[in-house]
Amino acid sequence: MDSLLKELTKLEKLTAVNGKGASIAQSLDSLLQSLKEARAAFLDGECSEEDLKQLAQLVEAKKKEVDDRQKEVYSVLSRLGKALDKKFTTALPTYSDLFSSTASVTALERTIALHFLRTGQFEVAETFLQESEINISEDLRNQFVDLHQILKFLRNSDIGPALKWAKNHQEFLRARSSPLEFYLHRSQYMRLLLSSHPPDPIGAVRYAKDNLGPFYKDHEAEFQRLMTCPAFLPLHKLQNSIYKDLALPTLHFDLEPLFAKEYCASLGMSRQVPLRVVGDIGGGGALARIEKGRKVIGDRKSEWNHMEELPIEIPLSSDNRYHSIFACLVSKEQSTEANPPMMMTCGHVISKDSFQKLNKSGGRSKCPYCPVETMLNAAQRLYL
Amino acid sequence: MEGVMLFEQPFARVPYENYRKIFRTSQKNVERELGGVQNTTNELLSRASKGNVSPEDAVKSIDNMIGKIENLKRKLSDLHETSGKPTQDVMRERMHHLATIESLQSTTQPEFSRWADSRLDRWLVDWCLRTGKENAAKRIATEKGIEVENDVTLVDIELFSDIRRIEDGLARHSCTEALAWCNENKTALRKIKARSQSHLLRFFVLCRQSTLEFDLRMQEYIELSRARKTLEAISYSKKYLISWHDTHLSQIRQLSALLAFPPNTACGPYKRLYDLSRWHTLAKAFRLEIYNLNTLSTEPLLHLALYAGLVALKLPACFDHSTKNVDCPVCDGESGSSLQPLGLGKLAGEVPYSHHANSTIVCRISGKIMHEDNMPMAFPNGHVYSREALEEMAAKNGGTVTCPRTGDSCQFSELRKVFIS
Repeated sequence: MDSLLKELTKLEKLTAVNGKGASIAQSLDSLLQSLKEARAAFLDGECSEEDLKQLAQLVEAKKKEVDDRQKEVYSVLSRLGKALDKKFTTALPTYSDLFSSTASVTALERTIALHFLRTGQFEVAETFLQESEINISEDLRNQFVDLHQILKFLRNSDIGPALKWAKNHQEFLRARSSPLEFYLHRSQYMRLLLSSHPPDPIGAVRYAKDNLGPFYKDHEAEFQRLMTCPAFLPLHKLQNSIYKDLALPTLHFDLEPLFAKEYCASLGMSRQVPLRVVGDIGGGGALARIEKGRKVIGDRKSEWNHMEELPIEIPLSSDNRYHSIFACLVSKEQSTEANPPMMMTCGHVISKDSFQKLNKSGGRSKCPYCPVETMLNAAQRLYL
Repeated sequence: MEGVMLFEQPFARVPYENYRKIFRTSQKNVERELGGVQNTTNELLSRASKGNVSPEDAVKSIDNMIGKIENLKRKLSDLHETSGKPTQDVMRERMHHLATIESLQSTTQPEFSRWADSRLDRWLVDWCLRTGKENAAKRIATEKGIEVENDVTLVDIELFSDIRRIEDGLARHSCTEALAWCNENKTALRKIKARSQSHLLRFFVLCRQSTLEFDLRMQEYIELSRARKTLEAISYSKKYLISWHDTHLSQIRQLSALLAFPPNTACGPYKRLYDLSRWHTLAKAFRLEIYNLNTLSTEPLLHLALYAGLVALKLPACFDHSTKNVDCPVCDGESGSSLQPLGLGKLAGEVPYSHHANSTIVCRISGKIMHEDNMPMAFPNGHVYSREALEEMAAKNGGTVTCPRTGDSCQFSELRKVFIS
């Protein structure tokens, strides 16, 4: 990028109106000046062939100056072009007619509209919905409006609406063993504790008794820490104690993403913004890798687009692992419903097909990893 | 970072191509005006050598020259102020934007996350522009500060309004705008043809075989024939089509024969020429040509990113109700238990499954990946979870663990270690 910026700087200097060195404007000005002088001379009646010859030479010289200048600009431009070529060596691929069927367009429009709603860009969503043909139910839209209102309150240190929502969804949150409600109260407790000057923990402790108490069973350790930390007040002392994490602003800020995650889960939506996740994977190297693989394996466009499974592996970060994958090391195949992973008596796992192929006389199979033999009917199918 | 940059090619190149166009315009002006001045002096000189120049004539010629140069000066400075400088600024802005990301060491930094946010916005703007959702595109651009009154321009809204204008023309069955565009970009188009034949876009040229300009001319001719203006059609052909006869002879002959067939003809090749869907094809061809000329990808960037992202994620497990994961984008949580996915899951139908040579076992309770320090443990019924999650459950329930999928309970001690390499 540096070389690009360098060439660009040259271009800017070269074309700047008040730049150093001879600019086109200066050449033109001096030409104008000479022409005006010649004109004055001619008006006085002096118009020899010699004068005209000089004028023609002058025009030629100035034209050459301007042309040279343009040539310089041109050569900087082409150097900039070459630097771009060097920077971007591979062109973007074409996948003709990708996602262009009506059904796909609808699916994509829906995804995008939900993306805007989910990220709180309601005006954009409104405009987008007007320009597309999909429909997002009023109910779903309002859900997102509610979400962002609650988030706004959280941002302004008001846990009220979030708490109300959590109370209404207590069953759901408990089934997920979500700490949301406890963390909301924790945030409020710490705020009460740190807002009194001089430190007066009475109010905070009363709040803890009423609101944190019910969570004692599930959050015993944290509860004890919370109740102990008033002993380390005031703030500057707390900040240097083992309880300093309780004084951090993240204790409150982290409520927003946590709340959004739980709220979306209650709507059956993922914890991350799906469009971002997929886009980041695709734009973060997956496409580059696919293209590389395509080059290595040899490309016949249609085949590559219509294959069942990609012939190369694209690495994923652990954040983006959502499903268990069992690849049998004997057969190198991914498990399927018909060919599930089987655990042998020794605890090692191979695919059902491989297990059956290893079967020797007497209905026993020897584990490929250890000496233990397993009877055909003793292998346990696993559900990962 | 190399993979990241693959997508940024159009972003960096569009303003560059733009600037080249501006430079060509300035060059044209210089040639015309200064060339004119030079001609005038030379003419004056040759007349003087014959001795028939009066001082009045000379003054008149000089006035003319002064006018030309002043005109040139004004044009060049206007061009620089209104297009040249702003385009340079856009180039600089974009290069800086890319430089920021290049300087980052890893994609886990918060700066990267912010950058990726704005990248997604750019992709969405690009997508909206390409699909005719101009207002939404503008809205995103202004709200996200990627285009503020043309100050910070990270998106190419102007280019697309140009495309829109020309396409609207084609939709009205008028080739005028498109032909004007061809004329403006004549040299660049010729170069593109040569370039694409040399590498990458070869297939693209092969499958079109003709050039946009000829196609447009052809359509205008067909419309004349449709209106049964035979004489006009013939003179149109003389004026615009015959010059292509080196490369398009057979088509020109067919077009000549077209005059003998009425628009409602049933004769195959001529019926096809009269077909109104040709307008649609023309619009498509124009799009490809202008994308190509501006080094924009033929596919929306969002499509490419989603394609690659979905390929990396898609697994058979995403489409089986019992193995769906609400957090997986391909599983498409929104569709809930319904069999038809509504969003990304639907799009994933168009891409191949991902390939994995190694096992990865994700705990269905904690979502964590299992490994030696967090081993997989199996219930007697064969359901597998991570040790950490099961230990936590056992600690809370006095040593009893319950399989969340089947509801079967047993003692922690009854669980078996699973060895998956």
